[in-house]
Amino acid sequence: MSCEIIKPDRILKELGELWSDTAKPEVESNGDGLLRACAMTLISFVDDEEDPMALGETLALLMREHPSRSIVVRLREGEDFLESRVLAQCWKPFGHRKQICCEQVELTATMNHLQDVASVVGPLAVPDLPRLILLRSARVVRAGALRKILPLGDKIIVDSARPGAPGFGELGALLDSGQIAGDLAWTRITELRALIAHLLGDTVPKSITIEYAGREAGPETRYLEAWLAGGLPETAVRIRGAGGEGNGWPAVIRIDETTVIRPGDGCAEIEMGHLKEHVSLGTGKDDELLNAELKIVVHDPVFERALNRITA
Amino acid sequence: MPRLSAPFATVNVMSLEGLEDPLRFSKKAPPCAVVIYGANGDLTKRKLMPALYRLAFEGRLAPGFAVVGVSRTAMSNEEFRARMRESVMKFLEDSPFDEQLWISFEQGLTYVAGDVGVPESYGVLASHLASVTANRQTDGNVLFYLSTQPSQYAQIAEGLGSVGLNRAPAGNPEAWRRIVIEKPFGHDLVSAGVLNSRLQAVFNERDIYRIDHYLGKETVQNIMAFRFGNGIFEPLWNRTYVDHVQITAAESIGVEGRGAYYQEAGALRDMIQNHLLQVLATVAMEPAASFTSDAVRDERAKLLRAIRIMRPDQVADNAVAGQYGPGRAGSEQVPGFRQEKGVDPHASTDTYAAVTFLVDNWRWSGVPFYIRTGKALPKRVTEIAIQFRTAPLAMFRKATAGAEAIPNVLILRIQPEEGISLRFASKRPGSGMQIRPVSMDFNYGSSFGERSPSAYETLLLDAITGDATLYTRQDMVDASWTAVQPILDYWHMQKFDFPNYAAGSWGPAASDEMLRRWGHEWRRP
Repeated sequence: MSCEIIKPDRILKELGELWSDTAKPEVESNGDGLLRACAMTLISFVDDEEDPMALGETLALLMREHPSRSIVVRLREGEDFLESRVLAQCWKPFGHRKQICCEQVELTATMNHLQDVASVVGPLAVPDLPRLILLRSARVVRAGALRKILPLGDKIIVDSARPGAPGFGELGALLDSGQIAGDLAWTRITELRALIAHLLGDTVPKSITIEYAGREAGPETRYLEAWLAGGLPETAVRIRGAGGEGNGWPAVIRIDETTVIRPGDGCAEIEMGHLKEHVSLGTGKDDELLNAELKIVVHDPVFERALNRITA
Repeated sequence: MPRLSAPFATVNVMSLEGLEDPLRFSKKAPPCAVVIYGANGDLTKRKLMPALYRLAFEGRLAPGFAVVGVSRTAMSNEEFRARMRESVMKFLEDSPFDEQLWISFEQGLTYVAGDVGVPESYGVLASHLASVTANRQTDGNVLFYLSTQPSQYAQIAEGLGSVGLNRAPAGNPEAWRRIVIEKPFGHDLVSAGVLNSRLQAVFNERDIYRIDHYLGKETVQNIMAFRFGNGIFEPLWNRTYVDHVQITAAESIGVEGRGAYYQEAGALRDMIQNHLLQVLATVAMEPAASFTSDAVRDERAKLLRAIRIMRPDQVADNAVAGQYGPGRAGSEQVPGFRQEKGVDPHASTDTYAAVTFLVDNWRWSGVPFYIRTGKALPKRVTEIAIQFRTAPLAMFRKATAGAEAIPNVLILRIQPEEGISLRFASKRPGSGMQIRPVSMDFNYGSSFGERSPSAYETLLLDAITGDATLYTRQDMVDASWTAVQPILDYWHMQKFDFPNYAAGSWGPAASDEMLRRWGHEWRRP
């Protein structure tokens, strides 16, 4: 086991050296140089078991749309482990000569160092730019340490559809305390909600039925029901199980029995009378959902109303 | 009720208020049919159809959305779909081609062969549209997009009017009919007025959308966000602090196959009268009271009307025409304009134009706005440079080797590397007080990696949703023709000694002299 003494100043110095080293080959070869890009600080809390390649890929994709100082905190079981490293993520946008680079700090720590991690991460955040926390660690939730990390960011993003994630109750409590929060389960249904609103135009339907696949309604189905019921008080909105296997995702949405939407993998089939259409609903991949969520760093009243309706 | 939309959108299509989510939902099109005249042309293939497909890809089109292609060539719906598919696959930028989505999208594509000069063709189109309305549930809404020769605009509008396609069908008063035309809007002030009268005899002005794709560019729109969304720049945005403004739109290529068209138009008509005067208006206009279509366009129009109209004796000092001769672009030998295919070997067309405009209002009185545009210049760049006045006291005169203080320059780069830079003076490290200019850069691509919609995506969606903010109104067209007409008239009387600049250079020497008279010089972007 190794346990370093980690100070923010040292990491910031390492970051400075990293930039000098990364830029050196470009300077020596009279290249077009590097562009150090940063529009926010993204602090990700993950459990050590999470596939580092998959997470790295998601963050790399995210950096292209939201160049950030990315701080990844990997939390593990055991005693007394604390380590850090810095690296750069660089890419060359198509048709551009200059490389764009973002910096990443990785901290690996055991849970007993969570407090230390917080005191390291705080000063590493880029001043004057938004700070967002992505919580994917079940350990933080299990340890009841959610509130310890909240002061690090302006907004916390969770995914209530992930095992071990904070549930509606905890999210509701966060909102009640004034915290800005986002839930990728809500983000996942954005395109579907937009499609329903678009299809309805200014028509108030009499009834909407959401059928979900699986044994119980997933958070996406619950959010969709809450949003529709809140937005259409004169419409009878209900959910029911469609049977079969599934994760509780909305499988069929029937609007007044004249319009049927069948959400699929990244798309939906619509039947409106004799018209049948195929529409794209986005990939629903983590990077796409996070990309959408990182754009919003203010209170989201529509999300908050839906969540309040569920927790009421 | 306001339509679900992005925070700045000002569309008025009906939606249920309870389901709105302005933070997350993007602007969407109501049901409609888009009729494209010139459906077999280059613009349709390269720009319009890829833009419409991309809107479908993003789920912004209503189910049942329809496109009706019209041109003279006889072809079946299947042939039209196959051609459009090929074009979309070839010209779709930064987007994947989704086969399944295309199958759904092409159901809405149909084709009508018709000669715009044959009155019966409009009746055929009307019958076809009636069946499209029923089959595709487009609610009778139609956007006519004229991607044809400008000389056919009025004729087509009148043809549509002759069969009642310019107004909502009986029994469906809510339906809308709009018409989109591409520049040039006339070839001078008089012809623009004639075109306008003929269009307005058929369509209401609010239903006429004059497209200027420059205004659809994200970075041009960002000028407004930059000026009016930030508190620190607007107080400096006036004659007290701004020394002069330079607007450059340089092309590194020659006319490349457009010689025949271009020799009739020229740089002043092709770029300055429309695109660049609109950019000038966006840079210099007063803040609108609200971000609504007419409020913004009112301010742009007011600015254009404030441009000082040159007297004939002032033109020579304030406008420079140029034409490129043979030269070298990099290591390549480039032919002169008169050697280009389809160009008259004695053509006196301006492939370069530079003009000094003055804006006679309280904010800008005495501040020159220099605009230049040209073909076969050293690089492709479009930018606006706002040069501020120097500090009142040259404290560091020794440090700048006796030169005047270094002026601050704010550069709004429109293409190719969209962004904003601010040049300011900084002390060089070391002993003594050595000053040198440095640049503080914002690069769009590094702060917002997300794909920017093409200008045509933005403008088509705006026209379908009834948002005319980025479209040119007739009074703006009149004002910009009025500003350039004295130059056109004067140049028409001149016998130019063309070519007067070599391809690959920054234009004629007279252009540099024009600025030198004001004590300024062109930037080298």
